[in-house]
Amino acid sequence: MNILFFGNLVDITQKAQEALSGTTNTQTLQALLCKKYPALQSVKYFIAVNGKMIQENTPLKEDDTVALMPPFSGG
Amino acid sequence: MKANTIKDIFVDGSITPQEIAESIAQHATKKNIGAHSIFLGQVRADEKTEGVVQAIEYTTYKDMALEQMHMIREALFEKYELTCMHVYHSLGIVPAGEISLFVFVSAVHRKAAIAACTELVEAIKFQLPVWGKEILVNQNTVWKENH
Repeated sequence: MNILFFGNLVDITQKAQEALSGTTNTQTLQALLCKKYPALQSVKYFIAVNGKMIQENTPLKEDDTVALMPPFSGG
Repeated sequence: MKANTIKDIFVDGSITPQEIAESIAQHATKKNIGAHSIFLGQVRADEKTEGVVQAIEYTTYKDMALEQMHMIREALFEKYELTCMHVYHSLGIVPAGEISLFVFVSAVHRKAAIAACTELVEAIKFQLPVWGKEILVNQNTVWKENH
């Protein structure tokens, strides 16, 4: 699946996107990402799956796009 | 005048006073309008402990932002009696003193225009996936926060 990073998360991951496979839900994906980028644990972010915000653990398919987004600061 | 298609709201760099003037002029033919409410967001040269802000660099999750904007627009047209609504938001670098957000709401009467414009600006600030990175005079950067 395709993972997108935005805002200050890019400072942590040093990339705007990354392809990952093998995770079946957002919880395991988060655990995997936190292992890879420990600094993610100390920042606040929301998750969107295919452009829709999610609040709870959500199943993932291989062709999903998951976005990790810090609080918005437009305008 | 309800628009059902998803419109692009993003412009590259700052929004010029000329573009704003032209946008106002384009409404001269819509003679049922009695009130325009306009909000302009300007980049502020904030003095932070880390340094003075000289510009903000904006990024977005465009697909999601446009879809979100479409929903906000539809909801406001439902709630208020509006004639038209235009939103322009900058992407990329906008220097301090220049305009990064132009919100333009028109209605037959002022109350709907003003209320919808205020609500729209708040929705843009808190519901659109857009991020601002403040670039300081000393070239350090600070991620902007909306309050």
